Amino acid sequence: MATAARPDASPSSSPAAHGSVARGVEPLRAGKGNSFLLRKLHSLSGIVPIGAFLIEHLLSNFEALKGPLAYANQVKFLNSLPLVRVLEVCLIFLPLAYHALYGVYIALRGKANVIYYPWSGNWMYMMQRWTGYIAFVYIIQHVIRQRFMGVSLPEHPGAAFHKVQMELSNPWMLAVYVIAMIAVCWHFSYGIWLFAAKWGITPGETARRRFGYVCAVLGVVLAVMGLASIYAFVGPNYKNAPDDVMPAQTQLSMPASRGASLSEGYLARI
Amino acid sequence: MAAPKIIVVGGGLAGLAAVIKIAEAGGNVDLFSIVPVKRSHSVCAQGGINAAKNLKGEGDTTWKHFDDTIYGGDFLANQTPVKAMCEAAPGIIDLLDRMGVPFNRTPEGLLDFRRFGGTLYHRTAFAGATTGQQLLYALDEQVRRYEAEGRVRKFEGWEFLSAVLDTEGVARGICAMDLRTMELTTFPADAIIIATGGIGAIFGKSTNSVVCTGSAQSALYQQGAWYANGEFIQVHPTSIPGEDKLRLMSESARGEGGRVWVPRTPGDKRDARSIPETERWYFLEEWYPKYGNLVPRDVATRAIHKVVYEHGLGIDGQPMVYLDLTHIDRATLNRKLEGILEIYEKFVGDDPRDVPMKIFPGMHYTMGGLWVDFNQMTNIPGVFAAGEAEYQYHGANRLGANSLVSCIFGGFVSGPNAMAYAKSLKAAQGDGGHAQELARQRELNQQLLSSKGKENPFRIWRELGETMTKNVTVIRHNKNIAETEAKIVELMERYRNIDLSDRSQWANTSFAFTRQLWNMLQISRVVAQGARLRDESRGAHYKPDFPERNDEKFLKTTKASFDAAANEPRFSFEDVDIQHIPPRPRRYDAAS
Amino acid sequence: MAEKVIQIEIKRQSGPDAPATWEKFEIPWKPGMNVISVMREIAANPVNANGQDTTPIVYDSNCLEEICGSCAMVINGKARMACSALVDKLEQPIRVQPLTKFPVVRDLSVDRSVLFENLKAVKAWVPVDGTYDLGSGPRVFPQQQEAAYPLSNCISCCCCMEVCPQFNDATGFVGAATIAQVKLFNSHPTGKVLKEERLRALAGDGGVQECGFAQNCVQVCPKQLPLTEAISDVTRDVTLQVAKDFLRA
Repeated sequence: MATAARPDASPSSSPAAHGSVARGVEPLRAGKGNSFLLRKLHSLSGIVPIGAFLIEHLLSNFEALKGPLAYANQVKFLNSLPLVRVLEVCLIFLPLAYHALYGVYIALRGKANVIYYPWSGNWMYMMQRWTGYIAFVYIIQHVIRQRFMGVSLPEHPGAAFHKVQMELSNPWMLAVYVIAMIAVCWHFSYGIWLFAAKWGITPGETARRRFGYVCAVLGVVLAVMGLASIYAFVGPNYKNAPDDVMPAQTQLSMPASRGASLSEGYLARI
Repeated sequence: MAAPKIIVVGGGLAGLAAVIKIAEAGGNVDLFSIVPVKRSHSVCAQGGINAAKNLKGEGDTTWKHFDDTIYGGDFLANQTPVKAMCEAAPGIIDLLDRMGVPFNRTPEGLLDFRRFGGTLYHRTAFAGATTGQQLLYALDEQVRRYEAEGRVRKFEGWEFLSAVLDTEGVARGICAMDLRTMELTTFPADAIIIATGGIGAIFGKSTNSVVCTGSAQSALYQQGAWYANGEFIQVHPTSIPGEDKLRLMSESARGEGGRVWVPRTPGDKRDARSIPETERWYFLEEWYPKYGNLVPRDVATRAIHKVVYEHGLGIDGQPMVYLDLTHIDRATLNRKLEGILEIYEKFVGDDPRDVPMKIFPGMHYTMGGLWVDFNQMTNIPGVFAAGEAEYQYHGANRLGANSLVSCIFGGFVSGPNAMAYAKSLKAAQGDGGHAQELARQRELNQQLLSSKGKENPFRIWRELGETMTKNVTVIRHNKNIAETEAKIVELMERYRNIDLSDRSQWANTSFAFTRQLWNMLQISRVVAQGARLRDESRGAHYKPDFPERNDEKFLKTTKASFDAAANEPRFSFEDVDIQHIPPRPRRYDAAS
Repeated sequence: MAEKVIQIEIKRQSGPDAPATWEKFEIPWKPGMNVISVMREIAANPVNANGQDTTPIVYDSNCLEEICGSCAMVINGKARMACSALVDKLEQPIRVQPLTKFPVVRDLSVDRSVLFENLKAVKAWVPVDGTYDLGSGPRVFPQQQEAAYPLSNCISCCCCMEVCPQFNDATGFVGAATIAQVKLFNSHPTGKVLKEERLRALAGDGGVQECGFAQNCVQVCPKQLPLTEAISDVTRDVTLQVAKDFLRA
């Protein structure tokens, strides 16, 4: 009965006669619907597996600081994981798609009001939505352009560095990556904070504040790592990386020394 | 036989208590309230609720509670119902406790009790400084539960206009106005319970809420109900004057060392802090060296009144005196009084730790009300009354923390009695007078809507409040009261020339107010004339010309009845039930 | 001395479907005025700043001491209680409009019955056996009382819902006030008996999950209820309840 029983709709001669006004926000649909599950799934998926994947991705990117070959090795390692394509679909694509689409649905239903209530929590609320939108658009193009277009990296891990480098050579694209990197790290670290607050892990004011510091540090660390990785691609160290640092794809194992010498030779050229 | 249908008017503590009892007994209730019941005036009560639970090892008993109440009320209350109330009080506290009221606790998890005025015992259970709010919410929740079960229908945003009476003068329902559509409807009922609170609005500004106009009581009085002890109005000595209302400043401010003073020079324009000690008059300390600022409420009230109106020494010519805490260090103030100081800060905008508070006595409580018998029924068969709207528990003066218990007890008595009455009620003849009452109320609305005068109802109200506050509150002189009576008659004349600046028929609050205003004028006359007729001083009623209590002549309940032909009240006096405690003198200056 | 004047602009609407317009007033200043007393002045002299006759403002109010919860409105862009909005502390012209998330009845008066419906939906009461004398209530230690009391101070003003970005037609979010009451009653020794029902109710559409933790509720609450803490605690309990129900199904 709690679902639709607006006072205006009660039986006759009761408050029904009371002048009805335009409907406002409807009351709680007690115990009805699935939005709780969907919403919790959204929240959880942001931490695991998407958050976990993000950290993995940033750590992998960080390998780029060691040069194209190290980066290639990381790409190769990842692609050598058992059932990697299944993992990719089940732990990355599907959760990401769900988190993104349901996230946009959540964001579209909120009515930000920082203009009137410019309080920090409210700003964060709005930022979480905007960074989400940024991540949404960014990730779509990122996946299309880096995963499905051009050289296929699972088959040609050695081409990874060059592919990214080419992408970032466009200053517009570079800007997109920098903005998106910061937005994603922001979204993730505040997402962890929100997760703790909303799942009742940090109900107390002080606990939330303290955990806020932790999340802020994490966010900064991740963003710095990410930006450093970007720098590896556009900075002076590895300019004009070769198309493929592992042209001999058929060679399943490459001695480390050879990789090192290749890298040195590459360095020598610049 | 179908379950009896009872209408309860008013959703404060008394009304909700009645609703719960009726619903529990299987009756059906329609609950009418102008505001959502959770916003009723009961929320404003702060201090606590009295019950002699004797949990402090003091040997408190319900008899002592009874004696304190009767003595505090200067022996004007009928003793049998008061005795019953005091005996029921501990059980009421237990019930409220079970309903989840967050009463303050002892370390052992038991109810804590504080001491209040007019008693030597720790008898007041309390929930922080918002006991009334907590009690109201507890009852509201229980009623919401019954509402969810379909036993109670709430009509919030409806105003009671009158009782529907059949040809024999028996109540058969009510006529009410939907405050949104402004439509009039009559609702059938086997009995009705009026729990519409006090009448503060007739004094213009009071500590009461906006809805406390007394309009319902007055409407019933004009339909033949007796109105009893109307002249007994409690004025609290320290309220915070505001442009819109008076807000209570707790007595504890003085308890912690607050000093009351005025500048010795009339109309002194200087800032309070720059006035030297020698030019300040600590009149309470001077007049009552023994008790100083902690004289009993009524004495303090009269003294402040005198300084302002007889000596003309109100601050800046306004009716206000200083209540000064600035000599106490901030840490102490914050520790002991923070809550109440914040109220002052919030509503006045000054920090009372730095600036002396400006306070003045304010009309606070209506001891009088609809006359009821020991079953809470008025003289109109089928119309019951409970809470501040009726007269029977506080005599000439109410003790602090007794109001909440009287409201709930009154509701608990009236509910079952209304049920019992309803069960034995014979069927109505014809339509029970519904059509006729509806037509009468429609006619009244029409008259108002078509009135094309030039009097603004809000200005009439202001003038009423001014004259009532000036002449019929703290210090009463027959000459002045007669002036007020004449003024009321004048205002009634002007009312006939009213101009409704809003004639629309949708959520027209000024129209509803204007209807209430007529009832306020009528009940004001009862209060004023009752005060004039009582030539003695008793409890809150004080006449300098008759400074003593006169039991021989006035140990009587004042009963006003409406003479419709003459459009004025007629008074009679009824003996008071004093079978349990013989009256003894009440010494203000010696009492604690 | 020229008379000090208060400039105030009020958003008016003659009915739920009528167009809204802003009307300006100039009211003589008096010391200590709040927004309510300004509107009372208008009622006593219903003339707007252009000198035209108008109607008194329709608004909800009752206790005028910030305890009944009636007079919430948006004053200078912020949801707050009009009774404690002192003119001297407000920037002029003071702009007053009704709460924006609730249907307007007329002028500043809105319909907030949704909160009471929500309280019904979560069974916000202690289900006592009856009102007859059953002896003392359960023992409650002072610490428990001190935790419950702040939650019990909710005045149903609906400010927390008004400022919540998630409380709107799209979400049908229940709002912080109701969630806080669930925490209150779930913590009561007897009220607990309905704990599972309340939690299941709050897992319904529009329940706790809709909270976006913008924390505006706790900022705006005139009674300083620990609302975010309540949301956090209750969401945890709801999640555990849902998990429990799933595993026991």
